[in-house]
Amino acid sequence: MPPAATILERPQRWDAAFDPAMGDDAVDRLLATEPFSGMKAEAFPKRTPLREILRNDTRILRFRKGEIIVRQGDYGTSAFLILRGATRVVLKPDLAPALLGRQAPGKKGVFRTLSQFLNGWRPPESYSRARLKQDAALGARVDEALETRVFLQDIPRVLDQHRTEQMIAGDFFGEIAALSRMPRTSTIFADSDDAELLEIRWQGLRDLMKYDDALRRHINRIYRERALASYLRATPIFRYLDKDQLARVAEAVEFATFGDYDWSGEYKRLAQAGSVRPEKEPAIVTEGDYPNGIVLLRAGFARVSQKTGGGERTLNYIGAGQMFGLREIAHNWQTKTAPVNFQFSLRAIGYTHLLIVPTRVMEEIVLPSLPPDDLPSPVTATETETDTPPPEMVMRQKVGAEILEFLTENRFFNGTATMVIDLDRCTRCDDCVRACAATHDNNPRFLRHGPSAGRLMIANACMHCADPVCMIGCPTGAIHRESFAGQVVINPATCIGCKSCFNNCPYDAIRMVDVRDQAGEFMVDQEMKPITKATKCDLCVENHGGPACQRACPHGALTRLNLNNLDSLTRWLQK
Amino acid sequence: MKRFRRQTLTGLVALLLATAGTLWLYAHYCPRLPGYAFLTGWALLTVMLLLTFYNARKKLPFLPLGNSETWLQIHIYLGCFSVVLFLVHLKFHLPHGGFEITLAALFALVSGSGFFGLFFSRVLPRRLATRGGEVIFEKIPALRHGLRTAAEELALGPTAKSPAIGEFYLRRLVPFFAGPRDFWRHLAESRRTVTALLAELDDLHRTGSEAERATVDQLAALVRQKDGLDYHRALQLTLKLWLFVHIPLTYGLLIFTALHLALVFGFSGGAR
Repeated sequence: MPPAATILERPQRWDAAFDPAMGDDAVDRLLATEPFSGMKAEAFPKRTPLREILRNDTRILRFRKGEIIVRQGDYGTSAFLILRGATRVVLKPDLAPALLGRQAPGKKGVFRTLSQFLNGWRPPESYSRARLKQDAALGARVDEALETRVFLQDIPRVLDQHRTEQMIAGDFFGEIAALSRMPRTSTIFADSDDAELLEIRWQGLRDLMKYDDALRRHINRIYRERALASYLRATPIFRYLDKDQLARVAEAVEFATFGDYDWSGEYKRLAQAGSVRPEKEPAIVTEGDYPNGIVLLRAGFARVSQKTGGGERTLNYIGAGQMFGLREIAHNWQTKTAPVNFQFSLRAIGYTHLLIVPTRVMEEIVLPSLPPDDLPSPVTATETETDTPPPEMVMRQKVGAEILEFLTENRFFNGTATMVIDLDRCTRCDDCVRACAATHDNNPRFLRHGPSAGRLMIANACMHCADPVCMIGCPTGAIHRESFAGQVVINPATCIGCKSCFNNCPYDAIRMVDVRDQAGEFMVDQEMKPITKATKCDLCVENHGGPACQRACPHGALTRLNLNNLDSLTRWLQK
Repeated sequence: MKRFRRQTLTGLVALLLATAGTLWLYAHYCPRLPGYAFLTGWALLTVMLLLTFYNARKKLPFLPLGNSETWLQIHIYLGCFSVVLFLVHLKFHLPHGGFEITLAALFALVSGSGFFGLFFSRVLPRRLATRGGEVIFEKIPALRHGLRTAAEELALGPTAKSPAIGEFYLRRLVPFFAGPRDFWRHLAESRRTVTALLAELDDLHRTGSEAERATVDQLAALVRQKDGLDYHRALQLTLKLWLFVHIPLTYGLLIFTALHLALVFGFSGGAR
């Protein structure tokens, strides 16, 4: 007899509301408030009505004066609407790292460097009280919902030393960072004791934009004004355009998002079940379609694939700043008699935010501005995989099919400093592990073990991701980038051991450790519970000379590579 | 040119030039230079101390003392050059007397273990990567215990019903799963033991019932895994053990060298 099937209620989008306490009264109040009062409820489909979006995808937060709402550089997944009171945005200069709960960037001094001689005799993960002491300019409290709020102690001083601007009820902020998954560009704190804000998680914001023209236009306008112009200016193919031409391109650009915003939790389960396959990922572009525009990746990653047999094979992956489709569009513009369709497919891996420059704009403005040498070679019928492979296939040949599929399926392309070990050269001597321990409180911050393919192993160490999901939701800002696009580090002084980063990391690269005092005794709080801190590889950011693990490998078998693109890996494999 | 190849070529050229230079100096100045032994002795000691300092570099990873990889390259080629210096210091004569023979033997053992280590370090990782999966050395006993328990459960557990498999397990597989096996065979890349065991399991498979065949298949898989573990243990142990010879002998050599210096300066009025 076959085993009885397990019957479950099919999971629904709103099984887990953003705030389960969001009641009818609160929703009614929101529906009477701008911009929601101006939205047409009938424009929303029956399965995602406006009322349910507000009930399930938003929450109301209250802040006291000085409490930090968003920090510059943090990764957030939500936007904010001020309902009552006021907030203040810090414009210039930026707040000091200590005021944001971060450690000041810098190298260890001579004394601290030399004191590491004694690490071998110290208990692991031992801290002095001074090292765990928070900056006096920063305070913290736990609010009624048991969430930790960090506040600035000396607001007059901040106002005196920084240019700031007040935002009042009705103002929106954080929407660009939430939708494009980019770091927050400014720090914003509450400017009144009664500040009440509506936090809208990205799913809700996406739907509100989809079904309300006014909000979509508003956010698109902000996007074009604040982010797009500078981004286009920095993109190589637009460098020959003058100001007017660039403005025309910016006006015609379309925005799109693909994939699952919360990919990190789900991907591992799928990978283990062997069900992460190209054809299951949302298609941005499908092979054989008419090329209606070039795709510029603004955030996230996408897989370039080609149909083969009954499935698709990966040829390459592209990340933020790279583009797709230029070759076909340039070909059609140059050789009008023999137009081609997209030669390959492009599928979103995880969450992808992209810009599409329509073919018409490319043909009228962009392509004529490019010197002939900058144009890609036309598509030819004689291109073969072995003799004259198209550019998209070159990387697959250099890296090898097995490694390319391995890196893509495990999402290792996310790493900007991934620990890669060449198993053909690694003697398993563990010098890297010992060097890491000697450099970090007598406790290594990685495992010399991890998934492997061919001669490559990706060790279980923080990869300092391009899309650092660990940074989403840290209540104190303890986990942060050391610089705008730099290493992801944790400030032990402000880490409260909430495990938010530990749970978010899809690569299991963060460990929670019970810390000790210098006598080796475990530190405890007033309730005698151990003090826990998140730890991970910090890429030896404070040490002179670079990552100790890499410098300690006698056989050149270990390196830290940026896998956002495969150039560095290819060079290293061919050394 | 690829980096590793360029590195090797640079090292070899430097070694050859240094060796040629040293031999030329030996041929021209050895008979005439009054402080010959003094000069070559101090040069050799300097080189030996530089070689030893590589170990100190390993203990100080937090200091910006350069990459270990570069240090190892220098260690290898300087180590080779130290053999040349040693022979020149001995004037290509065999040592005589108990102390000198011990000193020379220690030098030979340190150099020899170094060459063996270099050979193992270059050859064994490639072999490790091709067989047995990737295993952390310290976890091997626990993994082995897991395999033994699983095999015992299959052959003798409450659900096992085959006397033939039980008998085979007790006779052939208990010793196989009991501990690490065939160190030397694995080092020599011989698969005799596992091939023999799998052949016997194949016999059982041929003559067994449907249920027995399924059990035999599972046992064969466990045997292959255990063999892979033993393989990794043998190779990883070798990669670790040679250092346990090389480093203590180095310190022994340094102690004997210090005594040698004391004897030279104490009893002969300085080297001649």
